[in-house]
Amino acid sequence: MSEKILLVDDEKGIRKVLGISLSDSGYQVLTAESGEEALHLFRDHNPSIVLSDIRMPGMDGIELLRRIKAESPDTEIIMFSGHGDMDLAIQSLKYEAADFILKPVQDDALYVALKRVHERISVRQQLREYTQDLERLVREKSERLVATERLAAQQYQRLAQRYQQLFDEVPCYISVHDKDLRLTAANRRFQEDFGHHTGSYCYTVYKHRHAACPNCPVIQTFEDGQSHYNEATVTSKSGDEYNVLSWTAPIHNEAGQVTQVMEMSTNVTQVRKLQSHLTSLGLLIGSISHGIKGLLTALDGGMYLVNSGFSKGDKHQIQEGWETVNLIVGRIRKMVLDILYYARERELQWEHIAVLTFADQVAATVEPKIRAHGIQFVRDIDQSLGTIALDATVVHSALLNILDNAIEACIEDKSKPSHTITFGVKQDDTAILFHVHDNGIGMDKETQAKLFTLFFSSKGQKGTGLGLFIANQIIRQHGGSIKVQSERGEGSRFVIKIPRLPSTKDSALAPQQTIPPTTDASALTSR
Amino acid sequence: MLKCRCGATSPCETTNHDSLQERCPMAKKIMVVDDDPVIVKYIVTLLQDNGYATCSAANGLEAYHMLKDERPDLIALDLEMPEEWGTKFYRRLTKDEKFSSIPVVVISGLPGRHLSIKKAVGYLAKPFEPGQLLDLIKKTIGP
Repeated sequence: MSEKILLVDDEKGIRKVLGISLSDSGYQVLTAESGEEALHLFRDHNPSIVLSDIRMPGMDGIELLRRIKAESPDTEIIMFSGHGDMDLAIQSLKYEAADFILKPVQDDALYVALKRVHERISVRQQLREYTQDLERLVREKSERLVATERLAAQQYQRLAQRYQQLFDEVPCYISVHDKDLRLTAANRRFQEDFGHHTGSYCYTVYKHRHAACPNCPVIQTFEDGQSHYNEATVTSKSGDEYNVLSWTAPIHNEAGQVTQVMEMSTNVTQVRKLQSHLTSLGLLIGSISHGIKGLLTALDGGMYLVNSGFSKGDKHQIQEGWETVNLIVGRIRKMVLDILYYARERELQWEHIAVLTFADQVAATVEPKIRAHGIQFVRDIDQSLGTIALDATVVHSALLNILDNAIEACIEDKSKPSHTITFGVKQDDTAILFHVHDNGIGMDKETQAKLFTLFFSSKGQKGTGLGLFIANQIIRQHGGSIKVQSERGEGSRFVIKIPRLPSTKDSALAPQQTIPPTTDASALTSR
Repeated sequence: MLKCRCGATSPCETTNHDSLQERCPMAKKIMVVDDDPVIVKYIVTLLQDNGYATCSAANGLEAYHMLKDERPDLIALDLEMPEEWGTKFYRRLTKDEKFSSIPVVVISGLPGRHLSIKKAVGYLAKPFEPGQLLDLIKKTIGP
């Protein structure tokens, strides 16, 4: 479609002549004889070029120019007027007319002006396209940038999540410490076992101390920037003691200074337990072999007395020898049973039983033996004790071990005319308390301290050093405790405290707990 | 030459189990030191049955104090007594000029333990045959 051009002049002749000329040049020519008509036509047809005379009755060319430019700044307007209208010509240029042509309008001048107008339109078109391209480009680039940024953010988040996951799931404890030894981060495993303690001092959290631990690997790493390792015992939030093997690594800032230290710890409690179990098995074998040699020698002795008594016809010696054989066989039986108990991995068989029945059974088992040695036996058992959850068989044997100990203490004591063993059973809010009192030989402080130690025996050849150790193990396994008061020459008071209900970690919910789980230093001494 | 009351010039067979003083003065006297009364009774009976005079102590301190009066010809010492009395007694014995010449037969249940007792004339590991102890004693001080 040909280009529209609006030709405005009040003189009909000019409109005609110029109209023909422009039509010949290929324009679709619209003509108006006044400013008002021109404005109407302009609004209806939106021509890209307007040719207008300046001097017209009514709305003059300048006013038309201003109105059109106000409505459509891109429309190119060429003004024409007669000589002497230079002021108007300048004014029209001021209002952004594209050109100004003197009347009478020469074709050449008109076409030059039109050519310039086309160039302007074309340049503006290019500029617009260029601008639009640029804007599109900018928009596209921005969109791509935003998309990339979003992707990067997602990837970063995924990466961060992945690292957090790794941090949390690593099968060991990881904690990050600042220079004041406060925790700045800890992984999930750490928090599960030691609680959420960001900001707290590490030694308070897992050592329950008030100052830094000696030989702290974290401090050493802060000092020399090297990795260090140590082994320590820590206490979990539930009060369990763990052996942990810890490595440290420095965390540097951009300036290369160590600002934080990471500590990675592995729980080696099971390994250490196994190790100490093996060590004590080694000890056990040594002790057993020594004990057995002694017992065999004594058995040889008894048999020799019997044989020699027969050959001499010495009835008294035969009897003495036979008593020795009996005594030693009894000792061998006890030792073998103790060893079997120790060597056997045993799960507790929890049952709820009436305390009174249980206490009576224990008393009935031990009473004949006590009386056989001429010792008085006193039962002091409360009649309303309710029930308790325990493994009756093993607690029975633990109590018998302690009662046996009382009997031995009375036999050994030659200083008193008579001896009494009291077996008492009491209760408090949460526990049953078994009392074993004797007025036998008693123990000095040193013996008391080593009382529950594996293979410690104050009875010389008579003891395997296993009885009270096993008793203590059993009571501890039930979440209970044994307290001892004793005075050399006066006698001993044992109080065995067993909770009515097992604590959760020792209950049937965790039946893998076995005897003897611990033989570490802390377990070997009485608490 | 020493003579027994009964006239014998070698240790006579006559023994009185109730009184060591009544024993043939020719008989050699052996001190048995062990904390286990069963073992003391065993060794003492074994030695007496074989013509030796005996005395016994249940710990090293008691044994040391008995040395002067009893003047044994040989000591059978259990090394593993409470409070290390076995080795303590042995050390005191060998440091004392009056008694350091008395031969000692060490009895121990711990393998290798006797190695610390360098001057012992004999070493017996528990459990031992009665004949082993007698042979060792006979070899050292005669019947």
